[in-house]
Amino acid sequence: MLYLIGLGLGDATDITVKGLQAVKSCSRVYLEAYTSILTVGKEALEEYYGKQLILADRDLVEQGADEILKDADVTDVAFLVVGDPFGATTHSDLVLRAVNAGIPYKVIHNASIMNALGCCGLQLYNFGETVSVVFWTETWRPESFYDKICKNRAAGLHTLCLLDIKVKEQSIENMMRGKKIYEPPRFMTVSQAADQLIQIIQRRRKEGGELGVTEDTVCVGLARLGADDQVIRTGMLRQLVTCDLGGPLHSLVVTARLHPLEVDMLRVNAEPDALQHLRMIDSSTYTS
Amino acid sequence: MVNFTVDQIRTIMDKKANIRNMSVIAHVDHGKSTLTDSLVSKAGIIASARAGETRFTDTRKDEQERCITIKSTAISMYYELSENDLAFIKQSRDGSGFLINLIDSPGHVDFSSEVTAALRVTDGALVVVDCVSGVCVQTETVLRQAICERIKPVLMMNKMDRALLELQLEPEDLYQTFQRIVESVNVIISTYGEDENGPMGNIMIDPVIGTVGFGSGLHGWAFTLKQFAEMYAAKFAAKGNTQMTPQERCKKVEDMMKKLWGDRYYDTENGKFVKNAIGADGKKFPRTFCALVLDPIFKVFDAIMNFKKDEAAKLIQKMDIKLDAEDKDKEGKPLLKAVMRRWLPAGEALLQMITIHLPSPVTAQKYRCELLYEGPGDDEAAMGIKNCDSKAPLMMYISKMVPTSDKGRFYAFGRVFSGSVSTGLKVRIMGPNFVPGKKEDLYLKPIQRTILMMGRYVEPIEDVPCGNIVGLVGVDQYLVKTGTITTFEQAHNMKVMKFSVSPVVRVAVEAKNPADLPKLVEGLKRLSKSDPMVQCIIEESGEHIVAGAGELHLEICLKDLEEDHACIPIKKSDPVVSYRETVSAESSVMCLSKSPNKHNRLFMKARPFEEGLAEDIEKGDVAARQELKARARYLADKYEWDVGEARKIWCFGPDGNGPNLLVDVTKGVQYLNEIKDSVVAGFQWAAKEGVLCEENMRAIRYDIHDVTLHTDAIHRGGGQIIPTARRVLYACQLTADPRLMEPVYLVEIQCPETAMGGIYGVLTRRRGHVFEESRVMGTPMYVIKAYLPVMESFGFTADLRSNTGGQAFPQCMFDHWQILPGNPMEPTSKPGIVVLQTRKRKGLKEGVPALDNYLDKL
Repeated sequence: MLYLIGLGLGDATDITVKGLQAVKSCSRVYLEAYTSILTVGKEALEEYYGKQLILADRDLVEQGADEILKDADVTDVAFLVVGDPFGATTHSDLVLRAVNAGIPYKVIHNASIMNALGCCGLQLYNFGETVSVVFWTETWRPESFYDKICKNRAAGLHTLCLLDIKVKEQSIENMMRGKKIYEPPRFMTVSQAADQLIQIIQRRRKEGGELGVTEDTVCVGLARLGADDQVIRTGMLRQLVTCDLGGPLHSLVVTARLHPLEVDMLRVNAEPDALQHLRMIDSSTYTS
Repeated sequence: MVNFTVDQIRTIMDKKANIRNMSVIAHVDHGKSTLTDSLVSKAGIIASARAGETRFTDTRKDEQERCITIKSTAISMYYELSENDLAFIKQSRDGSGFLINLIDSPGHVDFSSEVTAALRVTDGALVVVDCVSGVCVQTETVLRQAICERIKPVLMMNKMDRALLELQLEPEDLYQTFQRIVESVNVIISTYGEDENGPMGNIMIDPVIGTVGFGSGLHGWAFTLKQFAEMYAAKFAAKGNTQMTPQERCKKVEDMMKKLWGDRYYDTENGKFVKNAIGADGKKFPRTFCALVLDPIFKVFDAIMNFKKDEAAKLIQKMDIKLDAEDKDKEGKPLLKAVMRRWLPAGEALLQMITIHLPSPVTAQKYRCELLYEGPGDDEAAMGIKNCDSKAPLMMYISKMVPTSDKGRFYAFGRVFSGSVSTGLKVRIMGPNFVPGKKEDLYLKPIQRTILMMGRYVEPIEDVPCGNIVGLVGVDQYLVKTGTITTFEQAHNMKVMKFSVSPVVRVAVEAKNPADLPKLVEGLKRLSKSDPMVQCIIEESGEHIVAGAGELHLEICLKDLEEDHACIPIKKSDPVVSYRETVSAESSVMCLSKSPNKHNRLFMKARPFEEGLAEDIEKGDVAARQELKARARYLADKYEWDVGEARKIWCFGPDGNGPNLLVDVTKGVQYLNEIKDSVVAGFQWAAKEGVLCEENMRAIRYDIHDVTLHTDAIHRGGGQIIPTARRVLYACQLTADPRLMEPVYLVEIQCPETAMGGIYGVLTRRRGHVFEESRVMGTPMYVIKAYLPVMESFGFTADLRSNTGGQAFPQCMFDHWQILPGNPMEPTSKPGIVVLQTRKRKGLKEGVPALDNYLDKL
């Protein structure tokens, strides 16, 4: 049996009871360690679960899936995913391989950023397509996420922006040489993401296009959701450029049409003046 | 020999209109260095103690021993024109003293890169041709390069002594020989140059205007028609008025020059010029060139060489030649030399030709600027270059590195094109990879010292204004081989030089004593600096590779490495050749590869280039930086590409400019541009290391037919796309009938008829084939041209010598790439064996990886 087990967002103790039982019963336990991270390290998990964990990096999951699935038809193998196994990161490929190999699988769910973010006050019903904001390089500056945010906003839907994390990435030179030398891990902060978005806005303004999102759009920065020191900060996009929400991981939400109750909830964590300029469209809808 | 102080030279440097920067170029053994000696002894500056020493410009011991020039060497000369001669100059001038910076460059094809470096810093070229052998392959190569760089040529027909003494040619035959050489040179000029309406005007050489010299460098005599026209103009004018202004005199002489060449004849009895070879009474008249120019020379030769003492004495007296006391006792050849040298001094004739006809930097930089500078044609740097303005920002090009006596350090040798460079000046040092606005390959450093370079001597100098050639100290650590030096913050690079040869022959080197490895690495670094062409590479397997243009080039490089740069005993492997990987058909299936996360899919196909496209890319007719529409038009017109597709070329590769193309033929794929960078990176990678044996690819076009992308940018970053692009490209290559290409030399061999059998035998054994065989007019020599695979060329020269009794001398130069027949996927075929050997040498897995490593199923 292949167990795909969600670990939740906070620390070692966020795993469900069902999940913990499954872990304890498995002969091999893999910890997926490249799409998200917990605030605690692998050792803390091992201690709490009482089990040795095998770190599964991108190479192992994408190229060495057969190794993970080895003997999974006769013994139990667990694959631990931070958040929910089918939340922000999907491991469909692993499941498909298991199905093809005739290996039964079971998913044990947990909280994911995709539902936990409800705590900031925005209603989950009102979210559109989720996007990722990636680190730009000198030559690679994709803007497709901006278009999607605008599309969501035009439809009145908020957008959850997952921010890039780079764990164990090779530089192009090292990839070409086949050297397994990895760059130091990097995590995008809310302020970096806001900065990239504003650069796009400024560029589009110069080109004279219509702007779906501006520097004044109300956004919400989230940091370490589910952990004890989680931070939520509401502000205009321009205000978030200078905010410091502390260590990883960060996410950003771009708001669209707001219900009065949503506005009230946002006010709890708002920067001064952040919600001053909200316009009322009708008695139950505000927008920035 | 003039003896100048540095201060005096510095003064002349400011008179930009009176500077002539020139290179001497020719086929090997046509007598460049010897000819240069005669110029130096006439006008060389400073090194007077060395006057008379032969092969002044061959500064290295091995150059002197082998009698072959290996490195180009610069020397400066000072020459003063008389008032009368100044009238001949058609461009602006500034006083009567001229500073001539001459660069003597090697004639052997293996060292062509030295010629390229020399041409870059000069504006004019003295093309030396042995009038017995005529225009040879290397003459054509270097002349072509000169023309393409907008270097104005003048011609010198050398070794006339041989034509007269050995071949005993008749005057009319000799005229025909000269005429033929002039024509072949002009054919090359018109083929590669712009026409008369181009920015340089008419650059065809023509004896009538004085751009062709005749003579013998070895004997130290030479003339252009100007010298004879002056003699005759004076003679004819003597009857009338003798007082002429320089302008009137110039006009007279120029008129006379027109009469001395071509189908003009001389009625000797009546002393009249006539237009027809046959007079009214049926009398045959000799050609003016024969009667008035060659005849006196023939008479001198005849009288002296046949020991007709009285006649000779009479001639000497008539020509008003004053011989030294010691010369008077000579007879035969030594006397001939002494007489000719006094009568028609080579230095005089050539220096006049150079100063009168070659352009000054002021003239040349106007039309050369657009070829020299990558930036916009109207920025400060471009204007400074165009106007040769010493007040403008500094723009200087470093064309090569010259080793100093201080081991491991180099002078950066180059030319100031704008502004001036001085000791202590803070400058921007920009390597070839510098891109304006970025910091890569850019250093801000002060110049430690500026120096003048004269043959093997250097003199410190405070500052040097534009138009001059100079050496810099302290720049070598920031530049590998070449670069741009400027004070202008927005400056773009000066264009990199294009070499006519490529490093196709390589050897692996290692230290005999493994403990010396650090010294070897350091030595290789220095070697790579000291030679414009040589490449020092470290292979994946840790092997150190030295790649050069040919066997001789490598031999010299390795000797330098061992004796000068690393100073340790080294072991070297047998030479090996670099290959190229290509395809011979379109991919048999649509190739698909999935990204590691399986969310992205690339669909591509490969197909071979149309014939000639790869060469066009290498020539630069089709280039990465070309204007998009012009390039698309060119491809559509010449190669019948679809214009729409031609506009969607993503990139060239490897290295962004190689002869392989990546083309986007997809229809309406959203966000395709967001993976462009990653696909391009994968393409550069694959094009550099093909699937067969990790050699460069060549002449392959890859079409991107379709892509499937994850909706979210984070799942289609470089880590996902780059390896996928590489895999799909490899799959395309494997499904398109891959082939291996090998480099092929063009070999030119001069030999007597008797040796030809031996040559054919050697060539056939080495898979070579002759495509042209012609007799050199007026001689018993034949010229054979053949193609010879570089792979088969090792030891060719020695083999040829032993099979022809040492009578045949080949010149090999890289010509083209050709498919090695056979399927490289079969381990027993010829290319299959090469693939296996190459893989083994590079430490790769045995056997070409199977297709299913790269091709995924839907």
